[in-house]
Amino acid sequence: MFSRSILRSFTSELRFTARSSISAAPLPQRACLHQTSWLRTTQQQSQSQSQSPNPESPLGATPRAQDTQPEIQQGSKAPSTPTSTSNTIIPQTRADVPIEKQPVAPNFDTPLEITKSLMSSLPHLAGQTPHYVVAELHARPYLLTAGDHIRLPFLMPKVKPGDILRFNRASAVGSRDFTLKGSPYVDERLFECRVRVTGTESEPLRIKEKTKRRQRHTKTAKSKHRYTIMRVMDVRVKTPEELLQEGAVVVEDTENTTKVEARS
Amino acid sequence: MKRLQLQRWSSSVLSPRARAGSRLHQQLYSTGLRLQSTASPLQSETSIPDDVEHVDIGDPGMMRHVRRVHKRKTQLQYPSPPVDAAIKSPKLAALHARLYLPSRLPVQTLARTLVDASADRNADFNNEALATLGHDLLTHYTSEHLLCNYPRLPLSVIFAAMYAYVGPKTLAAMTKEWGVDWATVPGGEVDPGLLQFKRIDPGTKVDEVSQLQSPRPYAAQKGWRMTVSSKIFYDDEFGDAIKGSAASNEGVTTEMASATFVRAVMGAIYLHAGRPAAKRFFEQHILSRHLNISELFNFSQPARDLARLCARENFEPPVAKIVSETGRKSRHPVFVVGVFSGQDKLGEGAGASLAEARERAALAALKGWYLYSPLNPRVPSSMEEEGAAPWKPAHVDVGEVIV
Amino acid sequence: MPVKGIRTVASARNGVGAFILQCKRLDFHYCNFWASSRGMLNFLTKDLPAFAREHPQIEIRVSPRPAKHPVIKGHYINGHEKAICVRNLEPEDIMKKTMILKEASGDKLKRTKKPVTSVNESVRGIWSPYHGDLRGV
Repeated sequence: MFSRSILRSFTSELRFTARSSISAAPLPQRACLHQTSWLRTTQQQSQSQSQSPNPESPLGATPRAQDTQPEIQQGSKAPSTPTSTSNTIIPQTRADVPIEKQPVAPNFDTPLEITKSLMSSLPHLAGQTPHYVVAELHARPYLLTAGDHIRLPFLMPKVKPGDILRFNRASAVGSRDFTLKGSPYVDERLFECRVRVTGTESEPLRIKEKTKRRQRHTKTAKSKHRYTIMRVMDVRVKTPEELLQEGAVVVEDTENTTKVEARS
Repeated sequence: MKRLQLQRWSSSVLSPRARAGSRLHQQLYSTGLRLQSTASPLQSETSIPDDVEHVDIGDPGMMRHVRRVHKRKTQLQYPSPPVDAAIKSPKLAALHARLYLPSRLPVQTLARTLVDASADRNADFNNEALATLGHDLLTHYTSEHLLCNYPRLPLSVIFAAMYAYVGPKTLAAMTKEWGVDWATVPGGEVDPGLLQFKRIDPGTKVDEVSQLQSPRPYAAQKGWRMTVSSKIFYDDEFGDAIKGSAASNEGVTTEMASATFVRAVMGAIYLHAGRPAAKRFFEQHILSRHLNISELFNFSQPARDLARLCARENFEPPVAKIVSETGRKSRHPVFVVGVFSGQDKLGEGAGASLAEARERAALAALKGWYLYSPLNPRVPSSMEEEGAAPWKPAHVDVGEVIV
Repeated sequence: MPVKGIRTVASARNGVGAFILQCKRLDFHYCNFWASSRGMLNFLTKDLPAFAREHPQIEIRVSPRPAKHPVIKGHYINGHEKAICVRNLEPEDIMKKTMILKEASGDKLKRTKKPVTSVNESVRGIWSPYHGDLRGV
């Protein structure tokens, strides 16, 4: 028997318990950053990379997925992590992916090496706002500036609205007059580009009529793809001081190092 | 610095039920009194539903009907929804979660921010006080952001930028983006998750300023010139004349009620969760909006202004020179004109005639001057954070050119 | 007055600072007697509580609609409404449909060719034929 009043009361009750439990308890961190940056934050716990870290207690005007540094939820969400080999750590968000299929995490055993010429020209690039980044995702370039709206040409798996990703592969980072070109990619420790997943969208239904010769039968093929939509939160080039603080090493110039190119 | 007792401060805006209060309070209010102590105790009416609870009527349908009738009666008693309705409103809970409001901010206060002064005259139950606080916070944070980031902006542009960030139009748009609907008519039986205000009568002139309320001397003189700097003293944050308080039974526009709601939310966050949360809320909801300040300028005579500016700054007087041109004799000529001060090129513009190109070049030069922004500016309120670096004085400019 | 200010409204960029889920309300309609609602009834009793707990920002309404097929309706912040009929669907499929409604932005479906839309000015400026060296012809 399904009476309306019972269901009503049930759902309304449920809403309230839900709200209080969510806002009171420390939420499982949903921010799904790229594995690389996640690893780095675990390795270099002490350094705060970007904005001021959020004060813990006075609360959450911060959306949950908004911390720049994801907390590590050890075993709270997925208690059965796949058997991790030696010292590879698997983020909880990718726990369902087999370990051999996970993207290879860059292991930063060597500190970031900056040549002297780059060190001298980087302040010019970092000081000139706004910045753009040519981020590569599945070998496609996306020219992004802060606040842009992206509709990826595919549906990104295992992301939820509100998640924050960090694009770590860029072929160029630049401002109006200067460009840092990668060969082929700019080192991901030199810049920050964060995007927030805002939902999914689909295209209008496409109907294609398939016909064959000498046959009266017509087949209609329908397709309606779904796409992930995102919003670029910030595009930032790190200043030399920040890089040095994060443990970068200045080395002598060599052949084919990345350079900041000024506009001709 | 001594720690602020937020709990104590915020308790005055909280309903007693939401207070981490004593048992006495809870007992007192379990009878369904209206919350604040200033309200006169209405024992006779409120005791009725209590009795109904205890009377055991055999027929459950009848019982339900009787209860509903009594509930409706108590709801209709007040112009705004009772406090205990806030806990039961799914709309309100959803709004609380949607805005990621701190858990320290109870839904009861959120419900109070949705009640406009035109719906409930009682200052203990409407959002007027919270909105006053929120408005001051919003304008304070916005103005310090603008002044530290663009120290050379002319005053009229600052007024326009303030209006674009925290003006009533923007705040009303934010209310819509937060998914807040409004009730057609306010009342005690309305869902507390709806914005409640009394609508203004159609045909009323909204923009009419009651001159008597203005603090400006000789305000009645129509023809008198009002300087921009006098607006700092006599007018509000957006350079508008201050309007007098509305008459007692007059309604408000949807825009004004929505703006008051957003301000009240800001004030409520400040009271319940403290300054850092309020500032974060401001940064995430206001500063994250897109505003191109260079589009806010409206010059009447840029070439003249630029000449005055160069004279004031002891630059060489600006000279316009043709950088390149094409098709002078054709139907669509293009001239690229640069404005030079000595060897330095101040600005450049392209136009279909020499005068137009020169005008645009002067405009570009002026915008380049006024839109100067220091590297990594800090705002004074950033000093309130713990462990902030020592304050370096922000750049203060002499101001715009006066012609 | 040498310069005047032009009044505009700063435009919203949802997700740059705060992120607000665009779906604000989900209505679930069911019928107690029709067999096409069987999966929906299962879903309402089994899965909906967990869904509501995970998404406190969505207001959820459940109401009967006798002698009709079960329907989920999503109400969005921009005022639009999307409805999906879930007759004869299993609870898992209904959950998928609910997720579609939850993640949708509420806008009209459009076919776009460019992946990135921007309101910012071009960072490097627009190329001009009147600047730079003259190439010899």
